[in-house]
Amino acid sequence: MPPLLQAESITRIYPGGTVANDGVSLSVGAGEIHAVVGENGAGKSTLMKILFGLEQPDAGQLRLEGKPIAFANPREAIDAGIGMVFQHFSLVPSFTVYENVALGSEPRSGIRFDREKAIAQVRALSDQFKLRVDPLARVSNLPVGQQQRVEILKALYRDARILILDEPTAVLAPQEVEELFVAIRALVAQGRTVIFIAHKLPEVLAISDRITVMRAGRTVGEVATSEVTEKELATLMVGREVSLGVERSQSDGGRACEIDTVSIQSEAGVSLATDLSLNVYAGEVVGLVGVEGNGQAELLEAVAGLRSVTSGEIRLKGENIVPLGVLDRRGRGVASIPEDRLAEGLAPGATVAENLVATRLGDPRFVRRGVLDLKAIRANAIALIDRFSIRVGGPAFAVGTLSGGNMQKVVVARELAEQPELLLVNQPTRGVDLGATQFIWASITRARDAGAAVLLSSADLSELLALSDRLVVFYRGRIVAAFINSGDLSAETLGAFMLGLETQDETTMKAALR
Amino acid sequence: MTASASRPDRFKVFRAELGRALVALAMALAVAFLIILGTSADPWQAFSTLVTSPLSSNRTIGLWVDDVAKLTLTGIAFSLVFQARQFALGVQGQVYLGGLCATLVAMSPIGTTFAAIPLAIIAAMIAGAAYGFIPGYAKARFGASEIVSSLMLNYIAILVVNYMVRAHLAPPNTGQLMTARFPETAVFPAIIPGTRFDLGIVIALVTVAIVWFALYRTAWGLKLRLVGHNPRFAEYAGIKANFIMVSAMTAAGAVGGLLGAVFVQGRAFGQLAIDFDGNLAFEGILVAIVARNRPLAVPFVALAYGYLRQGAQLMGFRSDVPSEMIAVVQALVILLVASSFTLPGRRFIARLLGRGEADPSTAAGGSR
Ligand SMILES: Nc1ncnc2c1ncn2[C@@H]1O[C@H](COP(=O)(O)OP(=O)(O)OP(=O)(O)O)[C@@H](O)[C@H]1O
Ligand SMILES: [Mg+2]
Repeated sequence: MPPLLQAESITRIYPGGTVANDGVSLSVGAGEIHAVVGENGAGKSTLMKILFGLEQPDAGQLRLEGKPIAFANPREAIDAGIGMVFQHFSLVPSFTVYENVALGSEPRSGIRFDREKAIAQVRALSDQFKLRVDPLARVSNLPVGQQQRVEILKALYRDARILILDEPTAVLAPQEVEELFVAIRALVAQGRTVIFIAHKLPEVLAISDRITVMRAGRTVGEVATSEVTEKELATLMVGREVSLGVERSQSDGGRACEIDTVSIQSEAGVSLATDLSLNVYAGEVVGLVGVEGNGQAELLEAVAGLRSVTSGEIRLKGENIVPLGVLDRRGRGVASIPEDRLAEGLAPGATVAENLVATRLGDPRFVRRGVLDLKAIRANAIALIDRFSIRVGGPAFAVGTLSGGNMQKVVVARELAEQPELLLVNQPTRGVDLGATQFIWASITRARDAGAAVLLSSADLSELLALSDRLVVFYRGRIVAAFINSGDLSAETLGAFMLGLETQDETTMKAALR
Repeated sequence: MTASASRPDRFKVFRAELGRALVALAMALAVAFLIILGTSADPWQAFSTLVTSPLSSNRTIGLWVDDVAKLTLTGIAFSLVFQARQFALGVQGQVYLGGLCATLVAMSPIGTTFAAIPLAIIAAMIAGAAYGFIPGYAKARFGASEIVSSLMLNYIAILVVNYMVRAHLAPPNTGQLMTARFPETAVFPAIIPGTRFDLGIVIALVTVAIVWFALYRTAWGLKLRLVGHNPRFAEYAGIKANFIMVSAMTAAGAVGGLLGAVFVQGRAFGQLAIDFDGNLAFEGILVAIVARNRPLAVPFVALAYGYLRQGAQLMGFRSDVPSEMIAVVQALVILLVASSFTLPGRRFIARLLGRGEADPSTAAGGSR
C-alpha cells in the first residue's frame, strides 16, 4: 500500500531568490504521527505550506494515496482532507468559538445560519477528540492554549484526515503541551494522521512515530522514533554534535539592580504584582519561575519602562529609574528581549538593518543632526548578521520574510550589540531551533560573564534550570520562594511552588534572596 | 531601505508593482469603455476622446500637467500620514485653509511686491500645518479618531472659506463667488507661456524630493515608518509614537496647505473661488494607495491618473456622454483600483490571469 501523503523532490525558490526547499522528500503513512524537525530556516514551514496549497512548488510532485495531486490553493487541500494550524493563529477575536469553527462552512437551515447545529457539532468534536473548550466563549477571552484547540477544531470540522501542526508547542506551557499530546493521541487512535513540527527534541521523541529531519532545504534522513536517541537526532539535525550545557556564573559583582517593594496594577486597577523585592547582582542570572500570568512578565515590563508601577522603587546602580522613560533606561544600560518578537520586538515590514538600529536612533554613530548614516547602519547590520549568524539574504531584506528563529536572532543581536548593565529576557528560545538555542544561551551567558545582571523568565523550566544562578518563584503576583540553583534542584520541586502547593519558610527565602 | 547593493531583488519587486499599477490602469479603461458603450451614441468617438484628448493641444497638455502637480502634492500628503499608519483624511480642509491664507497675503499690500509668492506659500503651509496638527493632537491627547475629526475639519474649512469669499472677499455688490484676480506678482509665472504649465509642477517635484529625503534619510522618517509598521515595537524601542504621529500629521498638513497655495496662485485660478478644489484633494487617497505610499512613485501615478482624469473631463465637454456618467466612471475606477490593492481583489485578479497569488513578501519587501 502506498503511503498516505508523499512529497517527492519538492523545490521552492522564493521571489527573493532564497531556496527554501531543495529537492525535499517526505512520506507520511496513514495513522501515524510524523514529526518534521530541522534548524530555523531549514524549510519546514515552506514544505507544510506546499502540502496545504499555500505555496506552489517550483519543481516536484505531491501524491495522495499514490496518486499525483496538486493544490492551487488551500481550499483544494482542505477538500482533499488536509488541515493546517499555523503558528500564528488566524481566528476572529470578537467571534465565539463555534462561530470561528464554522466560519465559511456554516450549517444552514434555509438561508439562516443554524447556530444550534453548529454548537452541537463543535461540542461533539471537542468531546470526541478531547479538545476541551467552551463553544460559546469569545475567542479573545481564551488563553493561547485554548485558541490553538479552536484552530484544530476548525480543521477537524472541515473533515481533515491529515492535520499539519506547525510548531504547536512553542506557545504552550508545559501542562498545555501534555493536554495537546493527549488530543493528538486521540486523533490518531481514531484514524487521523498528524504531521507535527517542533524544535524541542524531548517533545518530538515523546509524541511521534517517525521523524523526518531537514537541513538547509533538504531531507537528510527519516528515522523511526523508537530507533533513535536525542543525541543522534540532534547530530543529524545540526550536522555536528551539540551540547546544551551552560557554565555557572563565576564572577560575583556588586548589586546592579534592586527591586524594592514594587506593586503593579493593570490599567483597570486589578493587582498584577504585590510587594516584589528582589536584588540582582552583576554577573548573575536570576530566573523568574511561575505559571504564565503570575506577575513575572509584568515585572519585566515594569523594569523596562513599558508599564508603570503603583508603588515601590526600581534602582539601577543605586539610582531610582521608575521616573525615567524607556529611552533613558536604555541609555543607562537596560536591554530587553521581549516575549513576543512579532508583536513587540520587531517591525516586520522594515528591513533587518532598520530593525537592528531602531533602539539606537540617538546614537551619533548612526544619526547625525537628524540624518541617517546609511553606510554605518548597513555596516552595523552586516557585522551583527555575521556575529549572530542570522540567516538572511542581506541587510535590506524585510524582517518579516525571515524564519522564526532568525527573527529571534535579530532581536537578540540588537539587544546584545552592546554590553548591557541589566538584561531583561522573556522566553528567549520560543520556536527557536537547537543550534540557535545553544547560541542564544551562549550569548546570554557571555553578557552575564561580561558583567550584566540578567533577569530571565521562561515557560520552559529546563531552560530556567540550565541558565539561572538563582531562582525566584512567583505565585499570584507574589514571590513565594527563592532558591540558589544547586545541582539537586528539580523541575518537580519548582512545580510544587509554582502551583502554590508548597510554601517556603521566611528564613530560607530571605537567604536565597540575598 | 538602507542599502544600495544586494537589495532583495529590487527589479522583481519593481516589476510586480508596475504590473499591479498597469492592471489598475487597464481596469479603469475597461470600466470606462463599458459605461461609454451604454450611454453614448458614438461610443468609439467618445472613447477615443477619453484616451487621446489630453494630448490634443498645448493647452490641454498644460491642463494635464497642472493636474499632475496637484495630484502629486495631495498624494504626497496622504502618503506621509499613511506611512505612519494614521488615517487622517484632512488634506481637503488644509487645501481650503491654505488657499484662504495665501489669498489674504496676495490681496494685502504685500501682494504687489516680490515677496508675494514666497510669503503666501509660507502662510498657506503654516495654516495647513496647524490644521493637520489639530486631529493629531486630539488623537494623542484624547484618543479621538483622526478619521472623524479630520473629516469634520474638512467641512468646517470648506464652509468658512466659501462664506469668507461670498461675504467678504468677493468684489462688493457683484454677486460673484470669487475674489478679484490677484496682482500678477502674486501669481505663479508660467513656464510655457500661454499654458497652465507653471511653477506648481516645480513645487510638486521639489516637495517629492524633500518628503522622500525626510522619510528615508532622516531619523524622524525611520521612526515614522517604524511607528507605521508596528506601534508597539516603536514604544518598546523608546520611540515617542505620539510625537511622531502628531508631527507626521502636521507635516502632511503643511503639504496640504502648500497645495492650497498652488491652487489659488496657479495660473488656472490666480484668485480664490468657492469650492475651488473640485474634489481633487480627496483623489490623493487613490494616488497614495496605488503608489503604495512611496513618495518617488507618487508623481508617476499622478501622471497616469491625471491623464485619465483630464481625458474624462474633456470627454464630458466634447462628447455626448452625460457629465454625471463621468463622475460614475471616476467613482467606479476609484472603487476598483482601491479594491485591487487589497487582498481579495488581488486574489481575484491572480485567478483571472491564471497565476499563483501575489507573494506577500514582495509587498512587505520594498517600502519605497
Ligand atoms: N515569504 C517568504 N519570502 C522570502 N523568503 C522566505 C519566505 N518565507 C520563508 N522564506 C525563507 O525561506 C527559508 C525557509 O523558511 P521556513 O519558514 O520554511 O523555515 P522553517 O524551517 O520553518 O524555520 P523555523 O523553524 O525558524 O520556523 C528561510 O531562509 C526564510 O528566510
Ligand atoms: Mg517555521
